[in-house]
Amino acid sequence: MASSTFKQDMPPEGGYKPIPYKRIPAKTFFSGWALIGGYLGMTAGAAYLYYLNCKAVHARELEARSASFAIYPMLLAERDRAYLKQLRKNREEERELMKNVEGWKVGTWYGEPIYKTEKPDTLQDQLYHEYYVHSSFKDYKKRAHLSLIS
Amino acid sequence: MGVTDDVILPTEEELTVPEINLSGPALKAGAFHLGKACENQNNEFMLCRNELGDPRKCINEGKAVTNCAMNFFRQIKKTCSGEFMQYVNCLDKSSPDQAFNPCRKTQAVLDKCVKDNLGIDRPPYDYYTRVHVHKTARPRLPVEGPTVYEDATPRLPEDIPKPEAKYGSRYIFLW
Repeated sequence: MASSTFKQDMPPEGGYKPIPYKRIPAKTFFSGWALIGGYLGMTAGAAYLYYLNCKAVHARELEARSASFAIYPMLLAERDRAYLKQLRKNREEERELMKNVEGWKVGTWYGEPIYKTEKPDTLQDQLYHEYYVHSSFKDYKKRAHLSLIS
Repeated sequence: MGVTDDVILPTEEELTVPEINLSGPALKAGAFHLGKACENQNNEFMLCRNELGDPRKCINEGKAVTNCAMNFFRQIKKTCSGEFMQYVNCLDKSSPDQAFNPCRKTQAVLDKCVKDNLGIDRPPYDYYTRVHVHKTARPRLPVEGPTVYEDATPRLPEDIPKPEAKYGSRYIFLW
């Protein structure tokens, strides 16, 4: 036999350490009420900051709108003149285009007006297609899709 | 289309006046002072335009507006050209939508110059969005009464006797 001495495996001197079966809860920094209070407090603070931001954005929009209103009469006056000039041009263009057609009256369908109950000297706002009817398709397209390129 | 020979359109000469040849940022830069300088003309024009709703009838008011704006920008060009162009440049290049916010410093410089030379204060930031009362000499529009139909059934005279119903009226709970 290789070895004749036998050593019994035994517990260490003084016995095993006690088994740590006791529950160790995680350290609590805040109580539940503190968490709820903190949540409400932070929300209130954030809401106040949001209010300030909203106010600033609103003021910015208001200022931009105010500036637009200030120049609007000038732009409208200029636009009105250009509009009336174009209406006259359109009428002359139609007269020129339809001069060989028998019985054609400008602005009507062979003498039948579009608006029958209005007084004759009423300027109706033009439809987009009517206004651009004698222009080139390029100009027509450019104006129609202005919002896509500006 | 729709514009017949009966519709009286102003002639080309009546409609041709020197127009303001300025780009968007420049107009926006001058907007607040311009609105204040031409307040009366602007209000007259907008009143006419909204009351009558016809561009042909407000040509003269519109010309006054353009003339006033033209004079204003001429004065600006004469006195505060450098400050104005600095502000225009800032408005144009600081933001995609010509916001006023990034340009407060150049705006203050322009405001001071305009105040010193033209005597126009910059109005509060929401001045033109508020409601203002405009005193005008324009005659009041005639009020259109209710439509009168000739073949309408004539009303009973006011003093016609109204006797009680002979057998009363049927009454069931509510009616």
